Amino acid sequence: MLNLIKRDVILQKRQLLFYIPFIVFFILMGAPPVLIFLVASIFIPFNTYAYDEKVETNILLNSLPYTRTEIIASRYLGAIAYMILSIGVTSVALLAFNKHFTMADIAIGSGLFLLFAALTFPLFQIFKQGYITTVILISFILLTWISRPIALYINEHLTAIIDFVDNTSVTVLYIGATFFIMLIYIISWGITHSIYQRKAF
Amino acid sequence: MENVIELKNVTKKFKGFSVNNINLQVKRGFVTGFIGANGAGKSTTIKTMMNLLKPDAGEVKLFGLDYKTHEKEIKERIGFVYDGNIFFEGLNLKDIKRIVAPAYKHWDDTLFDQYVEQFELPLNKAIKTFSKGMQMKASLAIALSHHAELIIMDEPTAGLDPIFRRELLDLLQELMVDGNRTIFFSTHITTDLDRIADYIAFIQKGKLVFNQSIHDVAENYALVKGELNLLDRDTEKAFVHIHRASTGFEALTDNIKAVKNIFGDTVIIERASLEDIMYYFKGGIHHA
Repeated sequence: MLNLIKRDVILQKRQLLFYIPFIVFFILMGAPPVLIFLVASIFIPFNTYAYDEKVETNILLNSLPYTRTEIIASRYLGAIAYMILSIGVTSVALLAFNKHFTMADIAIGSGLFLLFAALTFPLFQIFKQGYITTVILISFILLTWISRPIALYINEHLTAIIDFVDNTSVTVLYIGATFFIMLIYIISWGITHSIYQRKAF
Repeated sequence: MENVIELKNVTKKFKGFSVNNINLQVKRGFVTGFIGANGAGKSTTIKTMMNLLKPDAGEVKLFGLDYKTHEKEIKERIGFVYDGNIFFEGLNLKDIKRIVAPAYKHWDDTLFDQYVEQFELPLNKAIKTFSKGMQMKASLAIALSHHAELIIMDEPTAGLDPIFRRELLDLLQELMVDGNRTIFFSTHITTDLDRIADYIAFIQKGKLVFNQSIHDVAENYALVKGELNLLDRDTEKAFVHIHRASTGFEALTDNIKAVKNIFGDTVIIERASLEDIMYYFKGGIHHA
């Protein structure tokens, strides 16, 4: 299964060259750190999906000694793995450019990413090849467009909340959000898994 | 004799097309050629063998094992080649190997390098720049480098030039020196099979017509030529299909003995090629 996750890097060697400039571009544009964390996390897993919507890729993967369960699991676990990696890279880039960011930025950015992944991954199995990339692209542009004011709004109000509410309830808030997102992610995994099991290639 | 592939009553229905009640056994240590017209159900059958499709009904077993419980063990032992390129087009062969090799426990880098050299394949050029023949060689190099016991190929010779087709067939023959190995491949170029196949499985309109040794096929089927006036409702029963022309009839029989009994020396009996058999079966089964 680790091989399936590592595959993404081999597949995207060339795209990865653009990865750092891509992050730097967002930093220079003055995008809020939350958005940068989100965009950086999306890069690798969604690029993989752009490859994997092809029928041929599914024929290859399913002819190799992998089970369908493993193929889907590698997507969901891989998304988390690459998200963590992206957070690391983005943090370093932000520090290098002397941009301030907080743990809250990371938490919200990764939370939004997982939510976005959970909502879109099953769509890749439902929509026909060729359409899905457009669907995701449009929804992502929309999300990016509305996320900035939302992120700013959330950021402001979170500081306000931090000012008003004591530490324990913030922790409760975070734990609650974490559980909520985890639940959505697991449900999404289950749905994608059951669709993929029944697919014909 | 041990069966490497066993399909029992396999049925799969699609919109406007179906594969019905396929019972097929592929024997270990032999080359089985899988023939049929375009759209007869060859690829569908092969996909059920590879678990790319799950049959609506029936049982699929490879090496006596079930995909439900032994998927990885089964695929570990299969080398596969498909008609089109299934590898990531933008990648070169070296990177494709990096993706495929770790999937197999018995991947053999030395063997792979040996095939790459033998096939004169460039390691650093993107697959999409390969010619059809080179793509086929690349698939083959990958399929052969993990010591697979069973090699399943869907139309491996389609679109290849005659010289490479022969090279490929020679290579397959070399592979068969290892008596444990089994090759199952589909084709509609029947002359390929005369050279290397031990068994012929013939599918027509989603139904398996026969699966016999190439020797039995030659013994059981024949082309019969004669005058039109020899045909009547009774004598016609000896034929699979009859082709009438003003100069006489030509027909395929699967019962040479009966034909000899009925017509004696009044007809000419010739050996039927696989192509003849496919052609006459396509005409429909006019059997009693």
